[in-house]
Amino acid sequence: MSDVAARELRIVGFLCNWCSYGGADTAGVSRFKQPTDLRIIRVPCSGRVDPLFIVKALLNGADGVLVSGCHPRDCHYTDGNFYARRRLEMLKRLLPFLGIDERRFHYTWISASEGGKWQQTVTDFTKRVHELGPLHAKKEATP
Amino acid sequence: MISQRLREAIAGVFSEVDVALAYQQGFDKLHATPCFMTMPEEINKLIWNPLCVHNLTSYLPSLKKKKVAVVVKGCDSRTIVQFMQEGLINRENVVIIGIPCNGVISVNKVLHETNHEPIEDITFGENGEITVKTLKGEKTLLLSDVCPDKCKTCQYPTPIVYDRLVGDPITSDKSPDSVYADIKEFENKTLEERLQYWEQEFDRCIRCYACRNACPMCICQDSCIAETRDPHWISQRATLSEKFMFHMIHALHLAGRCVECGECERACPMGIPVNKLKRKINLDMKELFGYEPGIDPEDKPPLYTFKVDEVTIKEHKI
Amino acid sequence: MADTGFVQKEKLNDFLNELSKDAVVYAPCLEGDTVIFKAFDSGTTLCLDRPANNPPKLVVFPQSETLFSFKYKKDAEDPRKMSVELEANTDFPRAIIFGARPCDAKGFRIYDSVYIDTNTPDPYYKGRREKTMIATLCCSAPSPGCFCVAVGGGPAHREGSDVLITQLEKGYFIEPVTEKGRAILNVPRIEDGEQYAEEAHKRQLESHDLVRNPFAEDGQPKISRALFDLDEFWEHVVSKCLSCGACTYLCPTCYCFNITDEQALNNGERIRSWDGCMFSHFTLEGSGHNPRPTKFKRFKNRVGHKFLYYPEKYNGVIACCGCGRCIRHCPVSVDISEIVSYLRGPRFEFTNEPPESMGTDTNSQEQKQ
Ligand code: SF4
Ligand code: SF4
Ligand code: SF4
Ligand code: SF4
Ligand code: FES
Repeated sequence: MSDVAARELRIVGFLCNWCSYGGADTAGVSRFKQPTDLRIIRVPCSGRVDPLFIVKALLNGADGVLVSGCHPRDCHYTDGNFYARRRLEMLKRLLPFLGIDERRFHYTWISASEGGKWQQTVTDFTKRVHELGPLHAKKEATP
Repeated sequence: MISQRLREAIAGVFSEVDVALAYQQGFDKLHATPCFMTMPEEINKLIWNPLCVHNLTSYLPSLKKKKVAVVVKGCDSRTIVQFMQEGLINRENVVIIGIPCNGVISVNKVLHETNHEPIEDITFGENGEITVKTLKGEKTLLLSDVCPDKCKTCQYPTPIVYDRLVGDPITSDKSPDSVYADIKEFENKTLEERLQYWEQEFDRCIRCYACRNACPMCICQDSCIAETRDPHWISQRATLSEKFMFHMIHALHLAGRCVECGECERACPMGIPVNKLKRKINLDMKELFGYEPGIDPEDKPPLYTFKVDEVTIKEHKI
Repeated sequence: MADTGFVQKEKLNDFLNELSKDAVVYAPCLEGDTVIFKAFDSGTTLCLDRPANNPPKLVVFPQSETLFSFKYKKDAEDPRKMSVELEANTDFPRAIIFGARPCDAKGFRIYDSVYIDTNTPDPYYKGRREKTMIATLCCSAPSPGCFCVAVGGGPAHREGSDVLITQLEKGYFIEPVTEKGRAILNVPRIEDGEQYAEEAHKRQLESHDLVRNPFAEDGQPKISRALFDLDEFWEHVVSKCLSCGACTYLCPTCYCFNITDEQALNNGERIRSWDGCMFSHFTLEGSGHNPRPTKFKRFKNRVGHKFLYYPEKYNGVIACCGCGRCIRHCPVSVDISEIVSYLRGPRFEFTNEPPESMGTDTNSQEQKQ
């Protein structure tokens, strides 16, 4: 198993402003130790996450993508994450068909108070992406 | 003869519509071409045979304001149902002339069989035999060998919706399990093989957008995000990653909406299997939500809706 | 040195490998059931049996190319000031197009008038063109849709080619057309072609009469301006067009392009890429106004450019080489030759069947008499 502390990989996180982004903040404020590969993009709701965001990230250099929103029934806009769940599940099944390991993409629900769960998720996901290694090792240089 | 009955059916509704969409002979013996008829004399040009491959319903959204009569095969009728689900046509403005269909040809497959020799003549027998004549001689083919893949597993040979039906209804003798057999088979490949497959196929893409423009469900057409500068999804670079991205746009915007008419694939001048990704998504939509596009006008595309408790979606653990 | 050469059939791959030693060789290769021009190497399967789906224009006019790269730099003294550094490369590798068809080669002549023979030649096109040798394979039979003889070409037409290749029973007869093309005779594995010359020249004439001529007998389509300017005409003949751009991207004479800047932070590139008049974005103006808002107007431009505007500007030369690709590969079989033949006018009988001479038959021998 490779060491998480080895060369950083590029992981993109799309986090809902109302919950997971807060959860990440809570983890930070509590000084929970976390790997540093993740680049966070704040979105208003998981329902804003077009599956194409994830594909674009993966095709343009990301080694892994994490999406996190409010728990089902807790969406600030009532049903954004319900729509997201269907879309993201669809993508999760499509990626391997394209030849991209579905383990490079994870979606989950984390609330603003769940700093511990956030820390665990980021750590585990980063570790998994490191086990899979870089996605673009032998691909064309992306502009 | 069906052609004659079709002409009569169209003549019968001609006065009610602004334009009638049907088929006529194309530039050579192997091609039919869509025709837009506005004058009764034109009805005589109309043909019906296995060359009539096009999905004429693709033109309907752009003719939304007109009264249109349109000739549809079983598969084409699914597009109309999908249009109804998504509110893209006014059903009362469309007169659907349905034809139960025994299968059409794939121009590419016929050309393959005849070594791409120009076709001098082609005739269709009663039982699916096709005689093609080239300068090199005559050859008999079977429709079942040179039809597009969609015909090989067609579940809906008789149109699902129609106002007039020309010919007797046909029920499919093809196993429903066969529909996605190729998709399942593809999934037996390793991840590396799959990636390599797509990279090789997509690398040929010239981004002419014929697949998109031929697709009846690609409703954005000239506003497609593959071409806009803002949002700037893809550049004009001819790199593999840009081509790949274009295909992902097409596939994901069709997620759970693709009626599997195969027009995208037929239209592609570079022989790219453009329909495959969408069919994979359809298979998933069927497994996850029991949804099949273009079957029931009252349905809703699965990604346009949700359930609070999704019994089929399990939470993923890392 | 001999004046012509010959390559045995079974030595063709070796010959191409020799050619590849000091130039990139682009040849029609089989991928699945599709024939495309691409760089030839040991892994590719050559296919000379039919014209490639795409023309070889990409060798000299790539689908997308970087014109120059740019870098913004902060002034060390005054951080509010930026300077910009540009870098362009017009040093292109030597290339050989092997197995173009005569129509493809003629297509480059249509580019040349626009990009080279002007007061402001295009350095990118010119640079590539000068480094490219075009070795053309004569057509032994027309493909569906072909009409080269109607627009001043033919299955053994030499215009635009540096070398003409004729396929014979035993191999390929190789005949330089230009000074540049003579270099091919120095390539190892080529024999003296002398003894095959007669057979080859006979062969070259054979297929000319098999090509259909949908226009006038003199090979110059006549176009009635009145009919051309009639909106109803276009609406009638191109209702079925999907306004995709397959016809323009596959056309060996379509040379329109788009220019875009791709920038990330302070670095970027200016890119030139293919464009085509069948795309609605082609004429979309910054204001949102589009002077060619419908496919009818766009199609009228496509035909007009090739058969009226270009000839008006360049000594009557038609900007279509009759390769038939736009007909063969159009998803709805729009036939430009049929449309142009209707334009003979002066009036178009909307209800009529097409005139006999330009119907669906591919064999036009009777028409020529
Ligand atoms: S039709 Fe084919 S070549 Fe054109 S954009 Fe679609 S996949 Fe690419
Ligand atoms: S994606 Fe292809 S098969 Fe699906 S609806 Fe569009 S054209 Fe038909
Ligand atoms: S003529 Fe054919 S290929 Fe050209 S834009 Fe129209 S549909 Fe597309
Ligand atoms: S307009 Fe059509 S036939 Fe003429 S050169 Fe272009 S692709 Fe070939
Ligand atoms: S607001 Fe957080 S998922 Fe909708």
